Amino acid sequence: MAVKEKIEEIISAAAEGVKACGSLDEINSLKVRILGKSGELTALLRGMKDYPAQERPAVGKLVNEARDKINALIDEKTACLQASREEEKLQSEKIDVTLKGSATPRGSLHPCTLVKDEIVSIFTSLGFSVAHGPEIETDYYNFRQLNIPKDHPARDMQDTFYLGNDILLRTHTSPVQAHVMEECKPPIRVVCPGKVYRPDDDATHSPMFQQIEGLVIDENITLCDLKGILECFAKELFDKNTKVRFRPSYFPFTEPSVEVDLSCSVCHGKGCRICKGTGWIEVLGAGVVNPHVLEMSHIDPEKYSGFAFGMGIERIAMIKYGIPDMRILFENDVRFLRAFK
Amino acid sequence: MKVTINWLRDFVDIDIPARELADKLVGVGFEVEEIIDPKENIKNVVLGKILSIARHPDADKLVVCQIDVGSEILQIVTGANNIKEGDLVPVAKDGSRLPDGKTIKKGKLRGVDSCGMLCSGEELGLTEADYEGAGVYGILIMNKETAPLGTDINDVLGNDDVILDIGVTANRPDCNSVYGIAGEVAAVLKKPLRAPRTDFTATSSKSVEDIVAVEVRDPDLCHRYMAAAVTDIRIAPSPEYIRKRLKAVGLRPINNMVDITNYVLLEIGQPMHAFDDRDICGGKIIARRAQEGEKIVTLDGKEYTLSGNMLVIADSEKPNAVAGVMGGMNSGIRQDTSMVVFESARFARDSVRRTSRSLGLRSDSSARFEKGVDFSCQPLGLKRALALVQEFGCGKIAKGVIDICTPIPEKKPIVTTPEKIDGILGIAIDNKEKLDILRSLRIDAKLEDGKLICVSPAERDDLESANDIAEEIIRYHGYDKIAGTLMDKGRQTVGGKTRAQRNEDKIKEIAVSCGMHETLTYSFISPSFASVLRLPEDSALRRAVEIVNPLGEDMSVMRTQLAYSMLGTLSSNILKSQKAARMFEMASVYLPEGELPIMTQPKEETHIILGAYGKGEDFYTMKGVAELICNAFGVDVKYVRSAVPYLHPGRAADLMKGNRSVGYVGEVHPAVCAAMNVSERIYIAELNVDLINKYEKTAYKFEPISKFPPVERDLAVVVNEDVSGADILEAVKHAGGSIMREAEIFDVYRSAAIGEGKKSVAVNMIFRADDRTLKDEEIAEKTDKIIARLKDKLGAILR
Repeated sequence: MAVKEKIEEIISAAAEGVKACGSLDEINSLKVRILGKSGELTALLRGMKDYPAQERPAVGKLVNEARDKINALIDEKTACLQASREEEKLQSEKIDVTLKGSATPRGSLHPCTLVKDEIVSIFTSLGFSVAHGPEIETDYYNFRQLNIPKDHPARDMQDTFYLGNDILLRTHTSPVQAHVMEECKPPIRVVCPGKVYRPDDDATHSPMFQQIEGLVIDENITLCDLKGILECFAKELFDKNTKVRFRPSYFPFTEPSVEVDLSCSVCHGKGCRICKGTGWIEVLGAGVVNPHVLEMSHIDPEKYSGFAFGMGIERIAMIKYGIPDMRILFENDVRFLRAFK
Repeated sequence: MKVTINWLRDFVDIDIPARELADKLVGVGFEVEEIIDPKENIKNVVLGKILSIARHPDADKLVVCQIDVGSEILQIVTGANNIKEGDLVPVAKDGSRLPDGKTIKKGKLRGVDSCGMLCSGEELGLTEADYEGAGVYGILIMNKETAPLGTDINDVLGNDDVILDIGVTANRPDCNSVYGIAGEVAAVLKKPLRAPRTDFTATSSKSVEDIVAVEVRDPDLCHRYMAAAVTDIRIAPSPEYIRKRLKAVGLRPINNMVDITNYVLLEIGQPMHAFDDRDICGGKIIARRAQEGEKIVTLDGKEYTLSGNMLVIADSEKPNAVAGVMGGMNSGIRQDTSMVVFESARFARDSVRRTSRSLGLRSDSSARFEKGVDFSCQPLGLKRALALVQEFGCGKIAKGVIDICTPIPEKKPIVTTPEKIDGILGIAIDNKEKLDILRSLRIDAKLEDGKLICVSPAERDDLESANDIAEEIIRYHGYDKIAGTLMDKGRQTVGGKTRAQRNEDKIKEIAVSCGMHETLTYSFISPSFASVLRLPEDSALRRAVEIVNPLGEDMSVMRTQLAYSMLGTLSSNILKSQKAARMFEMASVYLPEGELPIMTQPKEETHIILGAYGKGEDFYTMKGVAELICNAFGVDVKYVRSAVPYLHPGRAADLMKGNRSVGYVGEVHPAVCAAMNVSERIYIAELNVDLINKYEKTAYKFEPISKFPPVERDLAVVVNEDVSGADILEAVKHAGGSIMREAEIFDVYRSAAIGEGKKSVAVNMIFRADDRTLKDEEIAEKTDKIIARLKDKLGAILR
């Protein structure tokens, strides 16, 4: 059967041809040459009329089978060539992935803000809200309302910048406590961060610095609660092994009053430069709110009690980041600030 | 407050080392700032005798001495030339230690063995006041000593005491005395407290009334005035132990009478004054307010002008002392003083404080009165002084004592319950222990019908409430017994930040994500800010609150804006050769509302200042950050050319919300940069954070996304240079009507072809309707309208 042989021949030639193709263009022209309108296989179909009628279906079937076979070969090769062309294109687009990205570099928050935010978030998660008050205060709120009368020796504890008769730059954030006690009813749980001012200027004192004050007023609040809350706080701010120690002290607005030491987070109590070899660092002042202060804020001291605590944010930032001189925090050298991402 | 262990031992037996005592005192609230033990400083230095002095074979300026140090003869080479054979000298032996930290070792000097060193007074840390001859240049000669050779030099010098420097809190004025501290030591060691020795016999033929009369004219400032007299006085040095104790705590011994007043002040806490009777004109002491403008020359030789609210101790003619502060030049003890009147008084604490502050005159006496001296101190102090006179044998005590005293307030008992005490502390302490602790502190405490009744001793004015009693108990029971609890009995509260507080955090976060670094500057600035910022005379920003007592001129006024601080920060970084920086700070500004100086608190506004310089920075990079902030809160502001005097007039905009300015953005005026010594261009923006909070759009309402497609058109027009982009967009939006959804300028182009003073502005417009697909004709009609309006209003020509 000459036809059958011819078809076989076309198929095998097509297979050879496909194999030899190196590009999509070549395979397209091969496809046209074999399967196109004037292609070899098409020519066979056209010559169908020359065959006896009873043979035509068989020939037609053979031709169609051959077309499918050749099409499959071509498709396979086309896919293969397309894939390698894709790959070549990708390769040609290769870039240096080690070069720097081009987004705006992130700025930074001041280390004191980082510390303040961290402290505030510890206390807000313990149910404390956040209050602010004026930095320019009256003598009444800064002193008298906190049980520090005029010409009282306790005023020597805090030298003061005066702005006018009875108007001053607050020397601590405690006056915010006084405002809160006047404006809110117990239960009160509040922290008050803010700037405070005292006429001191050296490596460990700045005439402006930041404090954060805490106040809790409710029924049945005890000195043990103060310790518990500060332990919680210290473990969150430093690490979970941090210990809290109370030492008796004196603040006019708390009674009993304590200095609060935390076990040194650097040496864990062994003694180092930061804790001056003692294993403890003095971080907070605290105490049970003096009933006299509650009375002045129209809170019944027979029913309610509470505690207050306060700490310096710069001092904690210095401890946390190992900054040796407080003045560095106010120099605003961009090389220093950049480090606090 | 400095006390010595031996002095404390007059009142309480101390059987533990100083270090241990210090730890115990810290535990009950007395910070021990320093423990000074002179013995620790000098080790292995002994008394020796020079047996012979020979020339050094190889050095002209050195000599070789043989020294007898009791147990052996040491050969020591020295360069000193004030020694002779037979002298007694301090010998630092091999391995000794001197106060400056130096250790002395055996060695050879120019080939000759030297087994130690002979010491000078200075090398032993001594001055002429400490030891006669100690100030001499050369070896300390101690020929008066009688101790055996080889005696430790500490024993020779009498270094047998340890000094504690104790911090006393303001609530415990009673502990600013050796006797007061001794009371706490007795309680902490659970030992009895011995009272100071106050026994004496009046042996003078006179009585005090024969010598002086006292009149208190102003009892509101002089609560008590006691006087006693001593006759037949022999001024001489005080006994050695008194001199040693005074020196140990930092006071210079003067003579027996002056030393007695100082000693009593330190020991009892009662300031005393000794008047030479010859100086009390008319034989009368008058405690009265000074006459306005009255003058006095005090002991320090300075003249002070007094005012009518100050108390003086006067005689019938003149003031002899500023009461409680300092005696007059004319009333002091002199070498020939033979009769003295001792004053032991209680002056009003606040009056002494005010007087001392306003005269700028401070003394140990005023410091003590300011802290508070209780009524029990005056008789105790006076008796103690007289007892010392008798002990020293330096005079005869006149009979009787004058005591003019206002009524002494009666001690009210503090009535509370043991349960209340436990409730304050949060732990239960055994009632017997409570009573024991209180009684050890000389508080008269008893339990009656379930009540705890406490009467505090005279010197404890600080004890007023149950909380005070709770503190006394816990500081002796031990703060280490307080165990942490988490407000188990309290009510739960909802905490967290307010929306405004969170907004402030968000603004900072935006600035940080724009590459800005947060700064921290002082709220007070130099008053020169007004001229540096070129503020006109009538500018409200000039009205800064002044600090009455600033640390310096450059920190003397409260800032009214943050621009000056930011310029300082940026210029300091420029001076440090930093090529570029972006910075911000959020802080308060202080704006007085009434007259200056202020009578009421000023308004405090929270602002944020943004600042940048360096390559790539321009007006628009800074404006971009300001826009990001405003947009983040939906605050829709108009940018209007600004007249802020410290900004470049052509490159500055005010952010207007209606007719209210939310802030500004701009390039800093070159004249301002020049004033700050900066040649870079600086860009700043200052926004009022309170207003952003006020104008924040908080309500979000859902709007469905249109199903109909938008149509985009571009348009380029030529306008005069002075036509602003905002003008063009406003015209476009106005004419575009409701289907005009967005319009934005995407290009501004100038060329010779367009013409001088002209620019081509390209606008991208997006049209869309919610209910239909827009037809080309509709868009074309709108575009024509827009072009017409641009031409009409702004003289724009379509390109």
